[in-house]
Amino acid sequence: MEAGEEPLLLAELKPGRPHQFDWKSSCETWSVAFSPDGSWFAWSQGHCIVKLIPWPLEEQFIPKGFEAKSRSSKNETKGRGSPKEKTLDCGQIVWGLAFSPWPSPPSRRLWARHHPQVPDVSCLVLATGLNDGQIKIWEVQTGLLLLNLSGHQDVVRDLSFTPSGSLILVSASRDKTLRIWDLNKHGKQIQVLSGHLQWVYCCSISPDCSMLCSAAGEKSVFLWSMRSYTLIRKLEGHQSSVVSCDFSPDSALLVTASYDTNVIMWDPYTGERLRSLHHTQVDPAMDDSDVHISSLRSVCFSPEGLYLATVADDRLLRIWALELKTPIAFAPMTNGLCCTFFPHGGVIATGTRDGHVQFWTAPRVLSSLKHLCRKALRSFLTTYQVLALPIPKKMKEFLTYRTF
Amino acid sequence: IEGRKKTYGDREGPDAMYVKLISSVGHKVIVKREYAVTSITIKAMLSDPGQFAENEINEVGFREISSQVLSKVLRIYFTYKVHYTNSPTEILRFATAPQIAPELLMTVNFLDC
Repeated sequence: MEAGEEPLLLAELKPGRPHQFDWKSSCETWSVAFSPDGSWFAWSQGHCIVKLIPWPLEEQFIPKGFEAKSRSSKNETKGRGSPKEKTLDCGQIVWGLAFSPWPSPPSRRLWARHHPQVPDVSCLVLATGLNDGQIKIWEVQTGLLLLNLSGHQDVVRDLSFTPSGSLILVSASRDKTLRIWDLNKHGKQIQVLSGHLQWVYCCSISPDCSMLCSAAGEKSVFLWSMRSYTLIRKLEGHQSSVVSCDFSPDSALLVTASYDTNVIMWDPYTGERLRSLHHTQVDPAMDDSDVHISSLRSVCFSPEGLYLATVADDRLLRIWALELKTPIAFAPMTNGLCCTFFPHGGVIATGTRDGHVQFWTAPRVLSSLKHLCRKALRSFLTTYQVLALPIPKKMKEFLTYRTF
Repeated sequence: IEGRKKTYGDREGPDAMYVKLISSVGHKVIVKREYAVTSITIKAMLSDPGQFAENEINEVGFREISSQVLSKVLRIYFTYKVHYTNSPTEILRFATAPQIAPELLMTVNFLDC
């Protein structure tokens, strides 16, 4: 599919329902996540259950006639059941999910040398944020519970691991704090970040591991330093609760989504607002009383950094190209709550209030060499460092995403 | 020279299959025309009717572009672009070494690709 085509629904997964349940509260899919290497998918399907499934999906899930956009897997053999699929019973409603990246080799060796008896966290783990403030850490390969982190006093709404593989975990909670946990030290809580006045809805760590973004009900977005765990700046601009945030793959851009129907794109180094994406009604015949249902639920960047996917209450998944002011594609989805891109591109996963997840085709992008250079440079240059380079003004504007 | 002509096919005239790109130090890179026109600038240079005499070999000299950028990076990117455009297979990541990114960016901006 090229940019501009509507996303096609690739597959839909539904939760099993073995027992009586409460429709209203337990069935929301509050989180979906892919592991950073693209080999696993996790989804909180309600009833306190998290499902872990290997990626790519079994062929039975993919409609006939569609050429699966997945890497050829040596593991896919005919007639195979799903021996690797894991069901994690968390005991309470699950709100946040995050996979760790594979830990970097030094920490793995260090762990084995110093902690021969203690659960080894030098493997792929999944962190789950629960209703009463607990965080459970699970080993993905086996489905075993490794650690239980206590500290938060209320729902743990979002989680984020540092992309470097250092096994530092950040959690965001309705108790208005964020907490930093070190999984190398048996889940020790190393810092509490206070400052938010209302529920913290989301947290995200920049891919270069230097910044942490958190967003809360009091309409503000906070940027924290991941080196000193202190507040760098507050970003003001949203008119309502900010519920989702994401950094671009080169850490040069930050997007935030709010109930005020807008997604704002910021330069996280300067705090400048670069643009606003308005989620207006597609059908202008609707009267003004429906405007409020365009509240945003989730926003995420595509892996090459040129597209955004948003989920809003007006029953639409939208795909945006960064340089344009209106979406390039729409897909209908009811009661959508979250979205995420597959790390290697090509697929978007979304979760809905009834516990289902959907997989959609995402725009297939061949980055221009110009954008690839920009991405390579911005992965280690801050906006101020770019502005100090001896290059023409137009090149600086391109590199700092003022122009595209 | 006769042998080279046979190996690389037709390099003469406006419909030549191959074009020659020349770096700042005179290093010559031979690329399929279909690949070279990934660069909008090169495409424009090659299609300029007044540019080449009838039997002249299609070549373009770039006094500002280093051999490394020309042969290693551009040729690889052109191949990558042509291979994945109109191909349904999953696109593999194209990595750019950060060390050459500044020089590369200026070149790529000029070549528009």
